[in-house]
Amino acid sequence: MNIGIFALQKLLGAIPLILGVTFISFVLMVYFGPDLTYELLGKNPSAQDIAEIRQLLGYDQSFFSRYLLYLKELITLDFGMSMMKDQPVSHMLRQAIPVSLLLMIPGFILGNILAIFLALKATQFRGMWQDKSIMTFSVTGMSISFLIVIILFQIIFSSSYGFNWFPVRGWEVFDYEGGFSWVKYLSYVTVPTLATVFVALGYNTRFYRAVLVEEVSKGYITTAKAYGHRTPQIMYKYMLKNAMVPIITRIMFSIPLVVISGSLLIESYFGIPGIGLLTYDAITAGDQPILKAVVGLTSVLFVLVLIGAELLYKIFDPRIGKAS
Amino acid sequence: MFHQLSSTKNHNQALWFRSWQQLKTDKFGQLGAVIVLMYFCITIGVWLQLWGHTWSETSDLFNQSPSMKHWLGTNAIGQDIASRGLYATKVAFEVGLMVAMCASLLGTMLGSIAGFKHNTWIDSLILWLMGVIDSIPFYLFVAAMAYAMKGFVFAMHLAMIMVFWTETARVIRAEVIKLKQLEFIESAIAMGQSQSKILIKHIIPNVSHLLIIQSTLIFVTAIKSEVILSFLGLGVKDGISWGLMIAESTNDIQAGYFINFIVASGLLFILVIGFNLFSDALQDALDPKLQK
Repeated sequence: MNIGIFALQKLLGAIPLILGVTFISFVLMVYFGPDLTYELLGKNPSAQDIAEIRQLLGYDQSFFSRYLLYLKELITLDFGMSMMKDQPVSHMLRQAIPVSLLLMIPGFILGNILAIFLALKATQFRGMWQDKSIMTFSVTGMSISFLIVIILFQIIFSSSYGFNWFPVRGWEVFDYEGGFSWVKYLSYVTVPTLATVFVALGYNTRFYRAVLVEEVSKGYITTAKAYGHRTPQIMYKYMLKNAMVPIITRIMFSIPLVVISGSLLIESYFGIPGIGLLTYDAITAGDQPILKAVVGLTSVLFVLVLIGAELLYKIFDPRIGKAS
Repeated sequence: MFHQLSSTKNHNQALWFRSWQQLKTDKFGQLGAVIVLMYFCITIGVWLQLWGHTWSETSDLFNQSPSMKHWLGTNAIGQDIASRGLYATKVAFEVGLMVAMCASLLGTMLGSIAGFKHNTWIDSLILWLMGVIDSIPFYLFVAAMAYAMKGFVFAMHLAMIMVFWTETARVIRAEVIKLKQLEFIESAIAMGQSQSKILIKHIIPNVSHLLIIQSTLIFVTAIKSEVILSFLGLGVKDGISWGLMIAESTNDIQAGYFINFIVASGLLFILVIGFNLFSDALQDALDPKLQK
């Protein structure tokens, strides 16, 4: 029962935040955005045509009612038609989201699990060569730009200058009968996943190690050692559980970043028709309906993720939220 | 009272002295500092037009291998890759410096005000603003800014400044809240000093070590983001940047010419790793908790 009230409180508290992010995307994308009147008109428009289009776009209404209109679009998920393709924006999003999820999820999970594992090892062998080599690898991963990693991995794995094991670009995961093909999926997803994992490992390992190192110096670890528990049990059972709150925070916070920012680069480079490529095309073409949908929705998603993270904290650490 | 103030001052000097001592023993940190200084010299050279000013000159020598005339060869339209790399270093440094300075200044101002006015509506307002900005994915925010200010050259810089200050502000705010409870601030309040004077004279000097660390972190992030944004066509408009070089090199790679890509990514990698090492060393040296 408590968790329900807690969730409700958090949701209410998030309303100003949601209003804020929607307001900023409204101001940037809709209010100050370029005037679209003449892009939708044919040649030699009459004054009446112009007035009609302006009414259609809502330019004749006040600032406030246009903001409410944008909020209504966000709630009903109805953003009108895309300007480039003659399709409803919501339809295009619905097609693109599963592609992005299929593309990013393996790298996201692997990147975090491997990083936690490496961080545990680095903490266990703190100051020794294992720790140093893991951290050197991590700093290297952090210092190479994501862009360069993507291009390098493509050269190494998918071009005739390297192994040439995987297709260079594209996303044809369905076989001839139209069913989902795991083999094809793996062939297209491997190189992007390797690139994501490589970069994510750099940042994540470093962060998780810092969290774990702080945990290892606490009293209960000494007690557990004094009781004669074996190291793996201390590491995986006690320490990891106690370090879970910052780890969850990081994982949750990186979800929107991975889904949008990561896929923006990967999808536009590998030509994969997910949210990232959709956004990239919309940016280059100035397709306002898609941009305002993507910016608004991801920002709201991020706020919801924040609430989700706080609920998870409460599950892992029941003390949170009790004091207030 | 006077004793209080002077002891914090001494403490402060001791902090800087110890930090310097520790920095002198940090081999990796020194390597990082040397790398950063080298890049800074390259940038100054470009500013003084000693080198790199011929970056846009085309010639009919396409895709040349390295030679005495063109140290790193030429690209697909006969431009000297070495000059372009050097000029792009300047562009990257300018972006990094401008963003790091403005963002950390803004972050310090708003962060220290929020911390100083802890638990008032000003604090809540600034916290809310930070929450809002952090909720909008960075690349989309830049895209939105670029879209809203079509053609404005500094749209990317402005977007980065507007996003990157929040991190600094959070760190500074937390530190100021801690500082505020210390006696020397209490006594300054008791002496009737104005709030702005307390903030500028007593609080900000005590967070300056954090400010240095934050600026180096923002600097690296700004340079890395600039490359990706320029690659995506959202960044540097007039001039050349490593991101634009990488973008044009993706065509060269298919034709088997790698120099453009190697030069741009190599320059970027060395600068970022140098700065990361330097910044790590600074963090170790300036964090009183970690000082030996």
